[in-house]
Amino acid sequence: MRSNTLLIATAALLAASPAVAHITLEGKQAAVGSYYKAVFAVPHGCAGSATIKIRVQIPEGVIGVKPMPKPGWTLDTVTGKYAAQYDYHGAKLAEGVKEVAWSGGKLSDQNYDEFVMQTFLTDTLKPNTTLYFPVVQECEQGVSRWIDVPAEGQGGGHDHGSKTPAPGVKLLPKS
Amino acid sequence: MRAVASLVVTGLVALLLALCLATSAHAHAVLIAAEPADGSVVTEAPKTVVLRFNEAVAPTAVSLLDAAGKPRDVTIRAVDQSVMVTLPADLPQGTQVVSYRVVSQDGHPVAGSLLFSIGVVTGSAAPAGDGVLHALIWLARLGLYLGLFAGVGGVFFAAWIGQGPAGERLIMWSLAIGLIGATASLALQGVDLLNLPIMGVLTWAAWASAAGTSLFPALLLAIAAMLVAAVAWRSPSFSAAWISTAIAMICVGLSLSVSGHAATASPQWLTRTALFIHGVGLAFWMGALAPLAVLAWQRKDSLLRVLGRFSMLAVPAVALVALSGLALAVVQLESFGALIDTGYGNILLAKLALVSLLLTLAALNRLVFTPAVAREFHRTRPLQRSIALEFVLMIAILGLVALWRFTPPPRLLAMSDDVPLAVHIHTDAAMFQVLIAPGKVGPNDFVLQLMNGDASPFAAKEATLTLSLPDRGIEPLERSAALGPDGYWHVKKVPLPVPGRWHMQIDALVTDFRKVTLEDDFEVR
Repeated sequence: MRSNTLLIATAALLAASPAVAHITLEGKQAAVGSYYKAVFAVPHGCAGSATIKIRVQIPEGVIGVKPMPKPGWTLDTVTGKYAAQYDYHGAKLAEGVKEVAWSGGKLSDQNYDEFVMQTFLTDTLKPNTTLYFPVVQECEQGVSRWIDVPAEGQGGGHDHGSKTPAPGVKLLPKS
Repeated sequence: MRAVASLVVTGLVALLLALCLATSAHAHAVLIAAEPADGSVVTEAPKTVVLRFNEAVAPTAVSLLDAAGKPRDVTIRAVDQSVMVTLPADLPQGTQVVSYRVVSQDGHPVAGSLLFSIGVVTGSAAPAGDGVLHALIWLARLGLYLGLFAGVGGVFFAAWIGQGPAGERLIMWSLAIGLIGATASLALQGVDLLNLPIMGVLTWAAWASAAGTSLFPALLLAIAAMLVAAVAWRSPSFSAAWISTAIAMICVGLSLSVSGHAATASPQWLTRTALFIHGVGLAFWMGALAPLAVLAWQRKDSLLRVLGRFSMLAVPAVALVALSGLALAVVQLESFGALIDTGYGNILLAKLALVSLLLTLAALNRLVFTPAVAREFHRTRPLQRSIALEFVLMIAILGLVALWRFTPPPRLLAMSDDVPLAVHIHTDAAMFQVLIAPGKVGPNDFVLQLMNGDASPFAAKEATLTLSLPDRGIEPLERSAALGPDGYWHVKKVPLPVPGRWHMQIDALVTDFRKVTLEDDFEVR
């Protein structure tokens, strides 16, 4: 039994070992009408320069955003009106967090880190589509914008042919 | 048994997990720096180009297009996170393009281009083509003209004016040279287009590429004209010869009017008609010379009768040739200054000098030598010599005309100098107007006018221009635009080192999190 666990662990390690260059979401799939822990993986800086700020735009239809504080980083949120009203545990929500930013830290190009927030995916979101969270990565020198969202009907491939794709999560039907 | 099943299940889970995670692990390498730097001008040709990436990469293809537009061989070596490209020693002055394609650690390809200039940013790095190729193109063109004018014209003359064969050997040789010239012109055109070495005439690509140009129908018509003429020589009856030689002459006129600088000038009804008349008239004139010279040499009884018939038609024919030539010159030149300032004008000037000599000889023939022969039939020598001289002059003129293949007319030069290339890209989201000046090979200034779909101003935070030329293996070159006081975005002095159909992508940042991307192609001469 122990050897099996080892096998899985090795496989996972092998698969994860290449440096991930895009900012991506760790959880690849999530069902609508449920909580989703969005983990933004930041594998490197901007062309060699250290990361000093991560800004995430919350797409419409995603509510109840609770970002996880990070030691050494200042957490800021921008709130605003939603385009629609959403049901959230019986309450009607018309406004909330629209942008989350971690700043003031320093993530060297050689290191890897994760930025986490809890979200609720309302069931107004369409299953079997991909939901994109545009991210702006600011560095000591330069900016990388992971904001490319494929045009309707395009897509295909994890980065839809873009050099700077926005991280996305595949939406599943309500379970 | 249970242990085995458990092992299989665990193995599958491990495999799935690995597959799942593997697709999420995609490392795109990024070019961090290059030596010489992108867009830089260096005084001396560097021995190597170093591309430095943010992680170790495996180069798959690195190509170099030198300032003369020639693809060159380079050797590449990956050292840690860098790729060293060893350049050839004899790079010409001007702008060179290094295009690279590397694979990052997870097998993801990354491509881009780097431009640097030795000495100067080149303004005229059109594929230079070597002298031998140009000489062959010129020779093929001259041969083609000889076939069309002396060959087809000669057969026409025999059927309509001479009404009997004379100068057969010269006419048949002209036709043969013309057919070889036409075929060679096609092959050499392809070699020139693709910038191949001369042995490239043996490749299918050269022929296929030439077949796509307007020269192809022109040469087909020319070949048809010469073949019909060759067959007409052996016509069983005069009426058959009349019809087939007339068809051949029409093909000559059409062949000239479907291709070339002059045929594409506007107004086309004028230029194409003028070219048709010029070509047919010239074939009539030049075609008469060999048979007349032979008749004069042999002192045939029919000489006076034929001379008389030719002289009667020669005046209106020469007038038509001169008039149509004048019309074409006016359209192409646009100004007298261009006669001196441009290569095209200089050739025209030289041609006019030879033509006036030719007209003097023609006038002498008509006013002095022909009446002299009419008075004393044995005095054919002056006439015969002058006709031979006319023939030689005509060949010299055709040689000059064949040089036009290498010089754009002032009309085209003026057009490309004054009017920048304009590209309009329109989608539901936005409307971009792009002006590229001068829109020719060399350094170009880009002006990006960004508008919303309804033509209201489009407020952008940043704009980036990305250019590539996939046909020539030039991978994307990226340049950021600067917002000018005029409200437009500018990218200055972008070298476009080779002609061709360039691809342009404009990324305009609307908010920090949203950008609009529009793409289009544009043609660089």
